Amino acid sequence: MKQILFAVAVLTMGLTISQSYHLQLLTFIGIHTILALGLNMLMGYAGQISLGHAAFYGLGAYATGILTAHWGWSPWAALPVALAGTFVVAFLVALPMLKLSGYYLGMGTLGFGMIAFIVFREWSSLTGGDSGLVGIPSLTVGTFSVSSGKPYFFLVWGCVLLAFIACERLVDSRVGRALRAIHDSEKAAAAMGIDTSRLKIWVFVFSAVLAGLAGFLYAHLVTFISPNSFGFLVSIRIVTMVVIGGMASIWGSLLGAAVLTILPDWLHVFTDYEMVVYGLILMAIMIFVPQGLTRGILDTYERSRRKAFTTPDPSQS
Amino acid sequence: MSVLDEKPLPLQTLLRVDSVSMSFGGIQALNEVSFDVKAGTIHSVIGPNGAGKTTLFNVITGAYVPDRGRILYEEQEVQGRKVHELVRQGIARTFQNVELFGSMSVLENILVGRHVRTRCGFLGAMGRWSWVKKEEVEAKRRALELLEFVGLVDFAHHRSEDLPFGWQRFLEIGRALGADPRLLLLDEPASGLNAVETQRLGDLLERIRGQGITLLLVEHDMSLTMGISDLIVVLHQGRKLAEGTPKEIQSNDEVIAAYLGSDRESFP
Ligand SMILES: Nc1ncnc2c1ncn2[C@@H]1O[C@H](COP(=O)(O)OP(=O)(O)OP(=O)(O)O)[C@@H](O)[C@H]1O
Ligand SMILES: [Mg+2]
Repeated sequence: MKQILFAVAVLTMGLTISQSYHLQLLTFIGIHTILALGLNMLMGYAGQISLGHAAFYGLGAYATGILTAHWGWSPWAALPVALAGTFVVAFLVALPMLKLSGYYLGMGTLGFGMIAFIVFREWSSLTGGDSGLVGIPSLTVGTFSVSSGKPYFFLVWGCVLLAFIACERLVDSRVGRALRAIHDSEKAAAAMGIDTSRLKIWVFVFSAVLAGLAGFLYAHLVTFISPNSFGFLVSIRIVTMVVIGGMASIWGSLLGAAVLTILPDWLHVFTDYEMVVYGLILMAIMIFVPQGLTRGILDTYERSRRKAFTTPDPSQS
Repeated sequence: MSVLDEKPLPLQTLLRVDSVSMSFGGIQALNEVSFDVKAGTIHSVIGPNGAGKTTLFNVITGAYVPDRGRILYEEQEVQGRKVHELVRQGIARTFQNVELFGSMSVLENILVGRHVRTRCGFLGAMGRWSWVKKEEVEAKRRALELLEFVGLVDFAHHRSEDLPFGWQRFLEIGRALGADPRLLLLDEPASGLNAVETQRLGDLLERIRGQGITLLLVEHDMSLTMGISDLIVVLHQGRKLAEGTPKEIQSNDEVIAAYLGSDRESFP
């Protein structure tokens, strides 16, 4: 039901908005939503932090970039390879990494993100190094070109919709409950028969593959990629989207991605003070709605209509 | 290395603790502890604070690996198997300091308890094929049944951390029952309960036994323990001080001395 409403909203937006600047902004929001959604599964639901998620975003982008620009592959053939590559790398990284937890996991993933960034920058024969990888082809379907503008908007938001459905189903399932259980009490989760280390590995891989998909969409949108789009600051931005939008909230990922994509754009009017205002806004959100925008909005709504919790006798049932 | 020889377990022995020792640094938490738990009984472990009761539970459930000795559950070694594997084999537990999934609803807590009796994974969840839906419906049905059993069905959709403390204990037992255990370990289920709730707990434990589930109970509440246990093991400073029926334990001089020597005045 929610998905249908969402699809209708996307459709109307896509059909009514004609200014290419706005379409472009919305397309970026879509890509960022996919990133935030993936990380939210890991961070918001399973409670495991990753400070290196931009690495997988970059991996998806560089994989398709290299395959198409250097080796002349069709992007549609490069897509499964890029996703599979992200899958494998994420799995190999997760295997030792998710034995860590808390700050140590943060440090570990941070280190991985840095290594990936250095590889993107230094392996210049493949990645183009600092000057970037140029000549990534736009997507085409038959003779129809899915380059920027409306077609790309629909492509990206179609992917967002699919990612939404996948995540929402996941959350509302045995797997999703197990993820939240790990978040609440890993000890109790294990005592319920959940193989916690295995599940943490798989949710990490899942979120990495979503980031890889976002990377693919990004690469074929801008057709030029450079390491700075996948550095430490980007990882932090994805984390911020999740936290601002709302941990463990699927719609929060959309909200967080939208705010963090639009805000810098609006704040240009503050010229020199842009970053200061940006920081202040983020601080204010965290101080007043520490659980993120979505929870903040929902809580206000629920508080206004919730009845007091009554405690009848449990034996009467 | 074991003092008991390799003769097969008597048929109805579900769990055998065989000269288990475990120490933390200089503290000998368990010292050559041995006893058998027969299927279908309520077996209690009592002892003053720090006697090693919780450590014993952690060893039985596979959370800790003992330094020496072994645990046999249904004639199989527990050692070397992971906690989650043992749950699948039928060992479920609760914790001394209630460990619910606080952000989840009462019903969801029980559904997590059903984890080992369901099997939907990532692909199943995303695909939501018909067997997944069927499994989910069945799991919910069973969860509601268990909530009915522990008396919390009216609160299925409340956040578990919003429940009054005493009810959280009942929920934790219901969650453990979700795994359809054959052996259920309860670590001080009555602590924090008022008199009425304690009585209700005793009644619940009897009903659990009635389902053919074997109970191993750590409990400080003596009237509850003495009232429902078939056998009692007394631990003191990591050692088994005595074992016997409630009557035998109540008249055991060593046990009384151990309790009088500790800060617990509650021994009858
Ligand atoms: N993980 C641990 N690390 C270090 N020492 C521990 C650990 N677990 C238990 N101990 C020690 O082992 C001894 C036995 O502890 P245990 O928790 O098993 O006692 P208990 O009988 O459950 O006591 P209580 O009635 O207070 O719950 C105590 O001295 C305790 O400090
Ligand atoms: Mg204890």
